[in-house]
Amino acid sequence: MALRIVIGDVTIGIHGQDFSYIFSVGSGGMESLYKDGKEWLYRSPRPAFWRAVTDNDRGCGFAFRSAVWSAADRFVRCSRVEARMDGQEIAIPLAPANNKYTGKETCDRFEIIYTYETPTVPVTEVTVTYTVETDGRIHVQADYCGKQGLPELPVFGMRFLMPTAAERYTYEGLSGETYPDRMAGGIPGVYEVQGLPVTPYMVPQDCGMHMQTKWVEIVRKTSLDNTDRGERSSRLKITAEEGKHFAFSCLPYTAQELENAMHHEELPPARRTVVSILGAVRGVGGINSWGADVEDAYHISGEQDITYGFWIE
Amino acid sequence: MEADIRWLDDPKVFRVGQLPAHSDHPIYGDVEEAAEGKSSLVQSLDGNWEFAYSVNAKSRPVDFYRENADSAQFDTIRVPGHIELAGYDQIHYINTMYPWEGKIYRRPAYTLGKGLAEGAFSEAEYNPVGSYRKRFHLAEDLRGKRVIICFEGVEQAIYVWLNGHFVGYAEDSFTPSEFDLTPYIKEKDNLLAVEVHKRSTAAFLEDQDFFRFFGIFRSVELYAKPQWHVEDLWAKPYFSVEDGKGTLDAAIKISAEGEGQRPGKMRVCLSDANGKCLLEQTQILQSQAEQTLHLRETLAEKVIPWSHENPYLYQLEITLTDSEGEVTEVVPYKIGFRDFALDPQDKVMKLNGERLVICGVNRHEWNAASGRCISMEDMKWDIACFKRNNINAVRTCHYPDRMEWYTLCDEAGIYMMAETNLESHGSWQKMGAVEPSWNVPGSLPEWKEAVVDRARTNFECYKNHPSILFWSLGNESYAEDDIAAMQQFFKEKDDLRLVHYEGVFHNKAYEDVISDMESRMYAYPQEIIDYLENDPKKPYLLCEYMHDMGNSLGGMKSYMELLDRFEMYQGGFIWDYIDQALWVEDEVTGRGVLRYGGDFDDRPSDYEFSGNGILFADRSEKPAMQEVRYYYGTQNRNR
Repeated sequence: MALRIVIGDVTIGIHGQDFSYIFSVGSGGMESLYKDGKEWLYRSPRPAFWRAVTDNDRGCGFAFRSAVWSAADRFVRCSRVEARMDGQEIAIPLAPANNKYTGKETCDRFEIIYTYETPTVPVTEVTVTYTVETDGRIHVQADYCGKQGLPELPVFGMRFLMPTAAERYTYEGLSGETYPDRMAGGIPGVYEVQGLPVTPYMVPQDCGMHMQTKWVEIVRKTSLDNTDRGERSSRLKITAEEGKHFAFSCLPYTAQELENAMHHEELPPARRTVVSILGAVRGVGGINSWGADVEDAYHISGEQDITYGFWIE
Repeated sequence: MEADIRWLDDPKVFRVGQLPAHSDHPIYGDVEEAAEGKSSLVQSLDGNWEFAYSVNAKSRPVDFYRENADSAQFDTIRVPGHIELAGYDQIHYINTMYPWEGKIYRRPAYTLGKGLAEGAFSEAEYNPVGSYRKRFHLAEDLRGKRVIICFEGVEQAIYVWLNGHFVGYAEDSFTPSEFDLTPYIKEKDNLLAVEVHKRSTAAFLEDQDFFRFFGIFRSVELYAKPQWHVEDLWAKPYFSVEDGKGTLDAAIKISAEGEGQRPGKMRVCLSDANGKCLLEQTQILQSQAEQTLHLRETLAEKVIPWSHENPYLYQLEITLTDSEGEVTEVVPYKIGFRDFALDPQDKVMKLNGERLVICGVNRHEWNAASGRCISMEDMKWDIACFKRNNINAVRTCHYPDRMEWYTLCDEAGIYMMAETNLESHGSWQKMGAVEPSWNVPGSLPEWKEAVVDRARTNFECYKNHPSILFWSLGNESYAEDDIAAMQQFFKEKDDLRLVHYEGVFHNKAYEDVISDMESRMYAYPQEIIDYLENDPKKPYLLCEYMHDMGNSLGGMKSYMELLDRFEMYQGGFIWDYIDQALWVEDEVTGRGVLRYGGDFDDRPSDYEFSGNGILFADRSEKPAMQEVRYYYGTQNRNR
């Protein structure tokens, strides 16, 4: 069954039998991801450029050298939106060109491309392409454009902020918390994680990373919808492209929230789900904590392109 | 003799009236007691004591040790425990800086061409004193015998009185301090008085990276010496790699209650794990106050050598009987036959003829509720944690541990680097730079005996433990003559072990007289390669590596690969085992939370540097542990 398309004045809605998505031109991102009986987005997803610095990041001066990415993580700007139905360009801005539609438009493949620019010097761009298939699957492609002179990144990927805290998540990947330079001990398998645990490092810092993940399924019972009595658990699954994998973390806090706390008791009550689906992750290092950088192989250059994709199912 | 407060200021005075250090052998009244592990000869003094806190020596209750002293104002404190955790003095974490940094200007006595720094500690405005009193009756089984008191650990300088009489003074916080109470002890209503000073010249030698505490933090007990008593046991179990034979070479020092005892007997029996007697000898105890009996015998059958893979222990049992044939004392001790040496051909350290690979961890004693006052359960938990995560070695950083830990490591097959209580980091490294203008001990004759004594005590107490492969001279104290003298002490005493010291890296002039191995901390993998590819003098190990502060322990592979590449790279000890943080009640929510350096208004501090463990402070494992388990497991599987 083809996708039903609603070309509004500010957003474009894509509807199917058991899903409903809204992509906003106004807010510069995906506005709504309604699936399995629940809304999954609290704010539109944005590129992720930062992690809550680790003790090693601070000790080796990485936090200082790469601090611009902290700002970029919070303050990107959407500079351009393009959209296509079955390859046909949709005029943007939507109005008044959308007066030609009837409300009965359908297509088999919808594509929308957001371009974000970073508050860095020099400026660079990230394009995020969402492609919706007739079965409701969304492919997300995120492309970082490397620029000469940009410092190294701690992570690159997409961050999803969900309205309420998840009750659990399941993934296929490596056991425990893994990073590129600390994953030899990870045992491949399917793992279920109850609650949204934050690893209790003495000083809250980036944690809960899962490398080489084939898929992750997030289960939420609560929502902010006043008509939802929270009786039913809903699931959202994010899957790597065929033969590939991604890294993810699923935490109740943003990088900024974690970084602001010097102790766990300073963290706010866990009320949302922050899912980072990452195409690149910097190692954690370990030679020492007062100057030795992460080994060369586990750096992420800001001067080279990064490209990766995944599916929301 | 009278106590003198000025001993606090003098590095030449570190033990007064203290009994010589000796082996940590247990003593029992008879065989049944030994089998049960409950000795009638020992009386614990742990529990509630009277206590008074003073901010400095000037304001302390000077006469508190007298029988008629008024102790109405005294509080009650739990022994063992840290005074700070009982709420009396400020909790303080600091790493390399001396704890008085920015508050008191101090230079160690006899440095910079100066003499004794009179009053540096004894007259300091801030140098807290804990005055402890304990009333006790002597247990019946101890009455009529020679009675010794053993303080297993008191930080940092103690004066001891019994029934108004001064009995002695001791430093070296992490080894047992013993005093003979016999002249003054009564059957009932004894008054034991202990004055504990937070800092003395020993503070310059105990600048470890940890929470700075003071007080009686390990157990205190009395023990009685029967008519005949084993004072010291030095059992050397040699293993021959060539023929698999074991030779026991033992020296047993016996004391008698007094001169003119009628001759007794000593029976020595060595049995295997099944209780089968392999060697038995009886010797006559002469009528003299003190004698040392020797025994050297090669066992007829091959022995099973002790190792991590098979920590096989033999039981040595010494039974002393009086002239009537009555048993007066039984000493059981588990020993292990092994051979550990540096092969002069390939310069590789070998255990029982095979290359040793250290998959180790540095372990501070820690419990988030009670600090360095840890329990038997904590220690057993730690051993189990080592086993399940393929950790085969431990460095007792940077001081000797609770006595029981050594036996647990023997039984579990954990290779130990037994470190002497010495760290003077702040005296030579300042803001990362090597600046030893007032380093102690350096080559100062006035400090030499204090550090050699620390080595001696470490050796004498723990010399019979097969788990100890290395004596470590201490940590981060630079290297000159005095530390060379510590090495010389171990070399003269012990041919079963090697000597380790990292600090000589900063003063290569001493590399031929300090440390049998090239030891480094936090060397980059390439630095290890550079050393080992350029005509290396010594085998190489990392006494500290993989600094696991917060979310860390990345890149372990680069170190583990070197084990396959270089025979002379023999592994390392991860820094470190457990985060140092303390449970406190959150001032906002009332919930129990873990706090670290700087969270007690303690300044200056090194803040979260107190937490570098592969365990969190509550002993739960950090996520990085699966990496440790994997890589250390790889090494086990390769063997």
